[in-house]
Amino acid sequence: MGAHLVRRYVTETDTEPDPTKKYEFDPQFGFEEREAREMVATQDQMNLAMLPLEQRDYCAQHLLKLMKCKRDTFPNLLACKHERHDWDYCEHQDYVMRMKEYERERRLQLRKKRIASQPEAA
Amino acid sequence: MFFPASVLTSTLIITLFLLTYPLVLSLFSAPLKSSWATTHVKPAVKGAFFVSLLPLILFINFGMEQVVSTWTWSHTLTFDMSVSFKFDHYSLIFTPVALYVTWSILEFATWYMQDDPHMNRFFKYLLIFLIAMIVLVTADNLFQLFIGWEGVGIMSFLLIGWWSGRADANTNPRRHPSHNRVGDIGLIFALAWMATNMNSWELQQIFVALKGFNVTPPVLGLIIAAAGKSAQFGLHPWLPSAMEGPTPVSALLHSSTMVVAGIFLLIRMSPMIEKSPAALTLCLCLGALTSMFTACCALTHNDLKKVIAFSTASQLGLMMVTIGLNQPHLAFLHICMHAFFKAMLFLCSGSIIHSLGGEQDIRKMGALHRQTPWTSSCFIVGTLALTGMPFLSGFFSKDAIIEAMTTSYLNTWALVLTLFATAFTAIYSVRLIYFVLMPNPRSMTITPIGEANPQVLNPLKRLVWGSIFAGLWFTLGINPLKIPVMSMPPTIKLTALLVTIAGLLIALWFISPSGARIQTTLFPTPHHFTSMLGYYPTLVHRMTPKLSLMWGQTAADQTIDQNWLEEIGPKATATLSKPLITITSEMQQGRMKTHLLFFFLGLTLMCSMIIY
Repeated sequence: MGAHLVRRYVTETDTEPDPTKKYEFDPQFGFEEREAREMVATQDQMNLAMLPLEQRDYCAQHLLKLMKCKRDTFPNLLACKHERHDWDYCEHQDYVMRMKEYERERRLQLRKKRIASQPEAA
Repeated sequence: MFFPASVLTSTLIITLFLLTYPLVLSLFSAPLKSSWATTHVKPAVKGAFFVSLLPLILFINFGMEQVVSTWTWSHTLTFDMSVSFKFDHYSLIFTPVALYVTWSILEFATWYMQDDPHMNRFFKYLLIFLIAMIVLVTADNLFQLFIGWEGVGIMSFLLIGWWSGRADANTNPRRHPSHNRVGDIGLIFALAWMATNMNSWELQQIFVALKGFNVTPPVLGLIIAAAGKSAQFGLHPWLPSAMEGPTPVSALLHSSTMVVAGIFLLIRMSPMIEKSPAALTLCLCLGALTSMFTACCALTHNDLKKVIAFSTASQLGLMMVTIGLNQPHLAFLHICMHAFFKAMLFLCSGSIIHSLGGEQDIRKMGALHRQTPWTSSCFIVGTLALTGMPFLSGFFSKDAIIEAMTTSYLNTWALVLTLFATAFTAIYSVRLIYFVLMPNPRSMTITPIGEANPQVLNPLKRLVWGSIFAGLWFTLGINPLKIPVMSMPPTIKLTALLVTIAGLLIALWFISPSGARIQTTLFPTPHHFTSMLGYYPTLVHRMTPKLSLMWGQTAADQTIDQNWLEEIGPKATATLSKPLITITSEMQQGRMKTHLLFFFLGLTLMCSMIIY
């Protein structure tokens, strides 16, 4: 707890990326085979389920299944464990992906700085 | 199975009708019987609770929410005000929780206030308060919310000063409106801003029209309002002073319902608050400071009810921190969980205080776990839920809040303060359990100790079920409104638990018997700082009136009396007239030389007139 804060404010202030802003490097830079992520849940499905805006992400299809399971198994509150786990795991994978993107951007910034300093050293 | 939307509206209108019916009936009927509170008010609230469960079930099962607009209050060209109710996630869950807690408290109050000659009026006040609270939480426009807001404030003031024959009960309620009024100014400012800039007080319209506006000024007004109502730092002294009121008032208003109205306002307006990062930071820092400061004050106080009041203020600070983290649904979950165990703690304290003949000092209690086993058990469950003991109701909300806080990248200072407050919560909770319930009796020998009355035990049993299982039911039954934080290192995940255990161990170390002699010192110690509440009431409550009175004395006495009324008024006349009077009287002393002088002056004038 706090390592990223030290990097951001003390040691690597010029290369640490800002997660609230758009990243500088193209997502396909060095990853030509990469494909864009696609939503599985459709807009209509999410509108019918009245999902809040924050929950309309790439894991919404699992949330819709969870909501349907809860509605079908009511009042058994202990049901739908698998659906809940699927949604939680998808959100966890989404979090891991975000952290990997952040780390990729950080390393590319460091690489850019290293390349820029090589002619000066020469 | 298909339920039409009108079922939701009808059941909630029936709930409100059940609550208002005893009040309206009391206005038109003959003088009330002494058992009116037991036969009319308590069954009304109990019935309203069971009726309100149906909309809750419809919401959990079908996700059914509704906005109902009924009567148009005021209708101008561009500005409409109507009586509208919003039955959404927050109001549908809070209403049954509030009614459940109120039902338990009213049953307790039938025993607690049985010797009071005005018990019926007391119950009427509680019922009016409850109606105002439900109007507040179900309001779909800010004007209706403001009506509920003022209603709960007025009833709180009347109920705190219930025992008006006592000097403290007369003076302490005055803190409540003075602090709340400062907050109300913030709310009125926010209302005025929205009326002039957005031309509406309807929540839907405000949230849709936010784009392009700098919402920081009205949000600051809302935060000030919440700080006043929810006893945040700066406007917090009224909450411990409010403990002068009867215990049912403390349990209902000053732990479960009224004090959370400020936080509820911020939860309702969260779509607006999240647009202002400065406001979120302010909420975070203010909440952390409040939580830490009031937890410090609770560490060293000896009045049982005041310790629980400070604990309430600390939890309100935690709710404000959660608003600052932009997690209003977690703040709402904590409101609901906190209502159960805090109301139970107050009822336990009321039972204990009554059993010991009115003694409120925890240093004069002890060994109650043998004499009042049910009350003691409920007290222990309540304090453990307060500390966030795993799998009790407080755990589900508090742990989630601390996880969200430790995984955020926000203000580290606020994070550290909140963790300290969490540790202090464990310390003063253990301290309370030790001094109140264990080990040896330190109270008077002949006291009316006993808990055989079902009117005392049934409410406690009901609330202890809620304190144990409510968290599990809410978490399993209701989907979160935002994505929960779940990916974190094990240390972060266990932070809340480790901090609580650390606080527990520190508390056990402090209360262990020590052979060391305590030395008194000339200089104030940290204990003195916290037991004097950080000298805040002394500085603010005495310094401000003293400066005002001194300035008033300067203005009234020296400026007006001594300057305008004396120097410039009558005295100026005397000062100006005196030299003339002196000269005139000198001339009329009858001296020969004066007469000769005037004779020769007159002669000279006559000669010059003749010559020229």
